Amino acid sequence: MIDQLQVVILGATLGGVYALMAAGLTLIFGVMRIVNIAHAAFIVLAAYLSFWAFTLYHIDPIASIAIVMPILFGLGAAAYRLLFARIADSRRHSEMTVLLTFALALVIEGVTGFLFTGVFRTTTPDYASDSFELGPFYVPKGQLYATALSLVLLGALLGFLRLTRTGRAIRATMQNRAAAQLVGVNVRRISTLTFGIGTALAGASGALLSFLFPFFPAKHWQWIASLLALIVLGGMGSLLGTFVGAMLLSIASAVVNDRYGPTWSPATFFLALFVILLVRPHGLFGKKAEL
Amino acid sequence: MTRRALVPAALVVALAAFPLLQLAVGGFNYWLHMLLIVFMYIAMASSWNLLGGYAGYISLGHSAFYGIGGYATGALMTFLGVSPLWSAPLAGVAGFAIGLPLGLIALRTRGPAFIISTIALLMLARLALDNTESLGGANGLSLPLPDLPAATQKVPFYYGMLAVAIAAVYTSYRIRHAKLGLGLRAIAGDEVKAEAAGIPTALYKIVAFALSAVFIAIAGGIWGDYNTYLKPSDLFQIRISAQIVLMAILGGRATVAGPVIGAIVLVAADELAVAKLGATELNLAAKGAVMILILLAFPDGIVGTLKARGRLPRILDWG
Repeated sequence: MIDQLQVVILGATLGGVYALMAAGLTLIFGVMRIVNIAHAAFIVLAAYLSFWAFTLYHIDPIASIAIVMPILFGLGAAAYRLLFARIADSRRHSEMTVLLTFALALVIEGVTGFLFTGVFRTTTPDYASDSFELGPFYVPKGQLYATALSLVLLGALLGFLRLTRTGRAIRATMQNRAAAQLVGVNVRRISTLTFGIGTALAGASGALLSFLFPFFPAKHWQWIASLLALIVLGGMGSLLGTFVGAMLLSIASAVVNDRYGPTWSPATFFLALFVILLVRPHGLFGKKAEL
Repeated sequence: MTRRALVPAALVVALAAFPLLQLAVGGFNYWLHMLLIVFMYIAMASSWNLLGGYAGYISLGHSAFYGIGGYATGALMTFLGVSPLWSAPLAGVAGFAIGLPLGLIALRTRGPAFIISTIALLMLARLALDNTESLGGANGLSLPLPDLPAATQKVPFYYGMLAVAIAAVYTSYRIRHAKLGLGLRAIAGDEVKAEAAGIPTALYKIVAFALSAVFIAIAGGIWGDYNTYLKPSDLFQIRISAQIVLMAILGGRATVAGPVIGAIVLVAADELAVAKLGATELNLAAKGAVMILILLAFPDGIVGTLKARGRLPRILDWG
């Protein structure tokens, strides 16, 4: 019983990070209907930025978020303006954007591979290899800090979306792009901003991942597949769904990891995806017409 | 034989005669190898085009069938002693048999969700093979070496790949000009209207999915045998999917000649880049950049763009 609870704790403390990784993806899909295959490539890029900040300047990976987020925001906003803004009204928008983000992922992977080689990297702050003991349970410090910070960032995002005028404009665009435009929302500006915010969130999660998992340039395929699985589970475009999906799958994969070994735990995400597509293609919280 | 069929027929005869040079003079092993790779990608890109081009269902996971074909051949050869002559076509059967149920699941969705499920399919297939110890697991599986002298070793594989390429392009051509192709293109245009017009969309899509797996699986089977070594991380690569998709887009989706042109151009460009610049990760970045440029500037690819401008040479106008 204690062992099983321990597994659930380990899964749950990663769930928040998964939710942060996927939040940007959901946001971008919600506002622009773009499935950003390059999202995890941005995450890996951010992990490299944190890695070099840590290795060269001894900047703590968590503190490096303050540097990584603005850089990634700029990259994301630029990518939207250069690549996606011009095809926003294309008839073949959905397949075009998937192919474009796929190509963008190849570019990022190629560039990170060229600059940083294929060596496995990870940052090693003290807390990454330490844990708290709570009675019979232990909680790895790195995971706990990462999830706590993820929740803070997700809370800030939610607050921003609920309470500010810009946030309301973003939500309005998510609900109905044409109607938002009619009532005076500058949809192009909102889209650029959202792509930037989504990518900045990817950046923050990349900084956190740098001390949680070893990474290398091609690692993003594994992550993007998992992230896409969990946003499909949650219902694409729903932030609440993303959070629930992240928690469920994170715990499930921790259980699979415990029962069948670490090689099978990524399979949890992919199998879950197929089951969802069979049973409830629009996900837990999605509207039927979404996909 | 009509005049239009003359050029392709002459080309096929010339390609079929090419290995005679190697047998008579020797020293053409490099060219045999390069042509073999071109044939392989022609087969795979044409195969992908049945689903991704005609039906408009983009799959980013079709290299899963490349790996499945490779392993099907490998298992047949090592455990049952089946001759490579039979095991490669059987790999195609395996591709069809596995593609059919997977298509049934994946095609419950469309648009982005379909694309996502194809990526997950590839990841899942790779994990499954990584963990199947009887097939060598992540370390891979060595196949028996072909019992041929070095001078002629590549020749049977050359003919094998040539045959698959011809079969794939011919299938693509026939489908393009048949009711199935018309139905698939109607699906790509507007699936709801196609359904309303009485096209059995579900059936057509599943047939297209399973057929698109066949030639890729055969190509994977021949390649595994040629390479004498199978490894999940080599075969189940998203980079191979990327290559296939890029070829079809570069040449022109939903055309018969497009994937052929795309495969030739991209294999040549790759070889040139590796020879001039060395095999760095920048190749991958360049490939992504080229893909972006084509998507934004020439979404119809080489053949589609030329055709729209009325500049397509008659020998490339295959419908």
